[in-house]
Amino acid sequence: MQTRVRIRSLVLAILLLVGLGTAAAQQKGAHGAASMDDQQRGLAALALSADGSAVPGGVDAQTWRGAIPADNALDAKRIALGRKLYFETALSKDGTVACATCHDVTRSFTDRRPVSEGFNGALGRRNAPTTMNAALLHTQFWDGRAESLEDQAGQPILNSVEMALESEAQAITQLKVAGYDAPFREAYGRDLNYEDVQRAIAAFERTLIFLEAPFDRFLGGSHGAISADARAGFELFNGKGRCVACHAINRANPLGTDNRFHNIGVSARKQNFEQLAVKALALLKEDSSEKKLDELAVGTDLSELGRFMVTKSYADIGAFRTSQMRNVGITAPYMHDGSLQTLWDVMDHYNKGGEANRYLDGGIEALALSDAEIEQLVAFMFTLTDERFARQNDAEQARQRALAGKQRPFRNDDLAQRKVLVFEERALGGKLGGGK
Amino acid sequence: MKSIETKYMEEREAVLRALARLDRRAFLKVSAGALGAAIAAGAGVTPHSFSLVNVAHAQDKPPEGSPPEGNPGTKAGPSPAKPTLANKPAGFTFAYISDSHLYKRELNDRFVRSLLRAVDDVNAMDPQPDFVLYGGDLAQLGQREELDLGAEILKSLKAPVRMMVGEHDWYLDMGARWRELFGEPNYAFEHKGVQFVVLNSVVEEDFWTPAKLSPMERMQTVAGLDNGKQRPFTVGEEQRAWLQKELASVPKTKPLIVFSHSPLYKLYKQWNFWTDDAEQVQAILKPFQRVTVIHGHTHQILTNRIGNIHFHGMLSTAWPWPYAPQGLPALTIQMNRPDPFNPNDGCGDGEVLVHPDGLVDKLYKLWNRNPVTVSRAYMSSSGKQDSPLAPNSGSY
Amino acid sequence: MKSHPLLVLLLALLTLGACGKDETKPRAIPTPDPAAKPVEVKLCDNHTTTTVAGDAPKTRELGQKIADSLMTKWKEKNPEADWEVEERKSRTFLPSADNSAVLKAGSQAPGTPYRNFTQRDLDEWKRETETLVVAGSKVFHSGDELGSTIAVSCDMCHPNAANTHPETYPKFQTQLGRVALLRDMINWCLEHPVRAPKMDADDPRMRAMEAYIVSQRTGTTLSYGKH
Repeated sequence: MQTRVRIRSLVLAILLLVGLGTAAAQQKGAHGAASMDDQQRGLAALALSADGSAVPGGVDAQTWRGAIPADNALDAKRIALGRKLYFETALSKDGTVACATCHDVTRSFTDRRPVSEGFNGALGRRNAPTTMNAALLHTQFWDGRAESLEDQAGQPILNSVEMALESEAQAITQLKVAGYDAPFREAYGRDLNYEDVQRAIAAFERTLIFLEAPFDRFLGGSHGAISADARAGFELFNGKGRCVACHAINRANPLGTDNRFHNIGVSARKQNFEQLAVKALALLKEDSSEKKLDELAVGTDLSELGRFMVTKSYADIGAFRTSQMRNVGITAPYMHDGSLQTLWDVMDHYNKGGEANRYLDGGIEALALSDAEIEQLVAFMFTLTDERFARQNDAEQARQRALAGKQRPFRNDDLAQRKVLVFEERALGGKLGGGK
Repeated sequence: MKSIETKYMEEREAVLRALARLDRRAFLKVSAGALGAAIAAGAGVTPHSFSLVNVAHAQDKPPEGSPPEGNPGTKAGPSPAKPTLANKPAGFTFAYISDSHLYKRELNDRFVRSLLRAVDDVNAMDPQPDFVLYGGDLAQLGQREELDLGAEILKSLKAPVRMMVGEHDWYLDMGARWRELFGEPNYAFEHKGVQFVVLNSVVEEDFWTPAKLSPMERMQTVAGLDNGKQRPFTVGEEQRAWLQKELASVPKTKPLIVFSHSPLYKLYKQWNFWTDDAEQVQAILKPFQRVTVIHGHTHQILTNRIGNIHFHGMLSTAWPWPYAPQGLPALTIQMNRPDPFNPNDGCGDGEVLVHPDGLVDKLYKLWNRNPVTVSRAYMSSSGKQDSPLAPNSGSY
Repeated sequence: MKSHPLLVLLLALLTLGACGKDETKPRAIPTPDPAAKPVEVKLCDNHTTTTVAGDAPKTRELGQKIADSLMTKWKEKNPEADWEVEERKSRTFLPSADNSAVLKAGSQAPGTPYRNFTQRDLDEWKRETETLVVAGSKVFHSGDELGSTIAVSCDMCHPNAANTHPETYPKFQTQLGRVALLRDMINWCLEHPVRAPKMDADDPRMRAMEAYIVSQRTGTTLSYGKH
């Protein structure tokens, strides 16, 4: 009896090791991702729901059910189909790119790169958000241009720097050739069509819920589930750090995002917004389709305008959706352009009040956090990772800590401690009264 | 014949349909701000103001003589050329920054930061405005260090600055430091065919001597908006006489723009959104065909028209005020309730577009929001045309 | 020696007479020496003093002047003493409810645990309630009392407690990520716009401010959860 248990746990351990993939064991797939086989194994090890019948752990039933649209109820066939499609490289022009290329199972369902690489090695402009928990977001993409997972799933397939298929028709043809007719008829009761492709992928993605972190145990009453530093960090999160204003975590919205769009100044480091805005309006005058918007958003300079490209609202210039806090420890690099490598960099960015620009969200201001307080907040953030990825989380924490020890490129103590004010240099070309 | 609003809404609908696929699922939910899509579809865009502003302009030519009271349909239809700042005939613009309420930086940097942001905004305008009006309440408690700090910051404005005094600047030393820094509080000047007059309209009857208040106590009494110990604002007999004299030689057809800190009408006495001798001041202004009053003190979008006088409030850089429980002019379309979690919400700076006929469009450049324009067509038609958007979260 | 009872009685009477005599007659005020130095008069707080010329005629008017002078000096040292009067002069307050219906005859049956209410009760209720409201107004309007480190007071954004809408609480406050009561919002405001340390729920200042804020919306329908 004991031996059987031991053998079984040994097998599980091996499976986990193989599945979650250490660098050594992994085979490289195209474009820097793990191979599709490795990823499939990793997925198997996570033992996710196969038929979507049970509410995933960590999420409230009403919230979960509310996130499932009426025309795409979950069942085993749809999930299996979607899973297959997620790894289906036939959906790309040269057969090398699938969803899983940039949303790699073994890399926290993202690609751990600043921006993603697609067809022909082309680089996009935006960091790949993690598929984990994406089902619970109110909109998809950094600029929220997709209303749902279904809506999002269909766009990269047709994007020239991502999967690069010419048209929906071509996608259908490729899938027919790969033998998808029957599975679709079984899953959706109709002929293979593009919208159902989107639905199936979305159905699979809805099983990717990872909300069982040490922080949840702490919220559940287990005081010792997170360290004292992390507890202090949580206090700061709700208080001096002002994080809660956009990243509140609660039952109806467990992800730690307000699903709104804010300009926190990340893009202001690069571009002149006003010139870009004028250019964007001119381009969109010629062709204002969704596809064009998608191309512009991911593939050009205009990407930096963020939500503005969708709403043309003055308030949305350079604004991107507040990203989720869940599993943030393992989804580096951060921000819409992946420009922040570690959580310490993220803290430095907020601590100094973002980056001054004409459209900076008024809620961003210098926080005057001390080094110790930053450590506490970072410790807290690392407790938000699902326990299935605990090992990866620890490894990431060590890696980021080492990197942050060497360089803190966004750190600015004068701004953080309000010795110099945000806008002071821009407005005055120098410090007020010689600076104090 | 379709009204401007109908045409505008139809144009917007067409653009939005073009933006999305026809099925409901893919229809992009865009906020009210996406009316700007209408601009993308057809209107001209100026380099520094790409907003709804210009799309909504109904007519190029305002009605001559007295403003129309009747049916908007009887007036000239929309002009084919969409007016923008770039292509309009000689008129001019000036910017405004107002109500900064500075403390010394070591005590409170938030208000300093906001004023810096406003200066940055105005300096980034392209083309630059002809001048910048500072609308009063530069300091919070009238202290020398506060006024000096404000003066230093305003020096970095590229365009020339015209200063106006507010009660927070005045009641500590009764304007001593203000005069040293900025000269006399009331003055007049002419610019491109428009007569400008700047008033000190925060003159209060002496309440401090009988109460034996120290200067700081006096200042703090006036600084409390809801402090009933102070007296109502006035322009005062002396200044009214000065105003009468200044305007005596100005032809009645010349456009007149008055800068005043208090509103020059009576809105809400409890908060001194009030000028006690408003009727007398208005009587002096009445003979002029085109009069606009630009006032501070109220920290919100405020619009009024009394006879032929148009009144526009200015935004504050420091904080917004709630709308008064009574007395709100009918023409005022409130701004959306500010979000307390964004300290810049409900604040901002702005611009006034002075058209060749002397009437103005008032542009409120709210931070983190779409700008709001209160156009001369709206004013001239007493609110029947070209109405700014109604708020979706009104005051409580 | 044997004490004669009558003698003792007589002695006692004489002594008593003498004492009683002393108490009933006012003591003679010593005639002031014209060259006497100024006299220092001290208030019963053992602290506040004023001086009077030693040779001034001791009239009622002088007595009043001394008293007034001491009062003024004491008030200068204790400027807050008249706080309620001052605060009421500075702001308008909505009155508390009119409870006179409670005084109507027959409102309480005899033999119940509670006695009938009287006008004294009503006066006490009104005075105490309104005093707390006025105290709250004082805190509300003072950056120092709030503990603000940046000289910001609540009335800068909320004159007369406008736009505080206490009738909408409790409600889900998105930016706090949870359901908030009025005091949670007050504490949020203290922490952020006012930059003061947060107050405990039972802090007398918090209680007073809540009283003030709620009282100024008297007559508004409760509409909790209203955004």
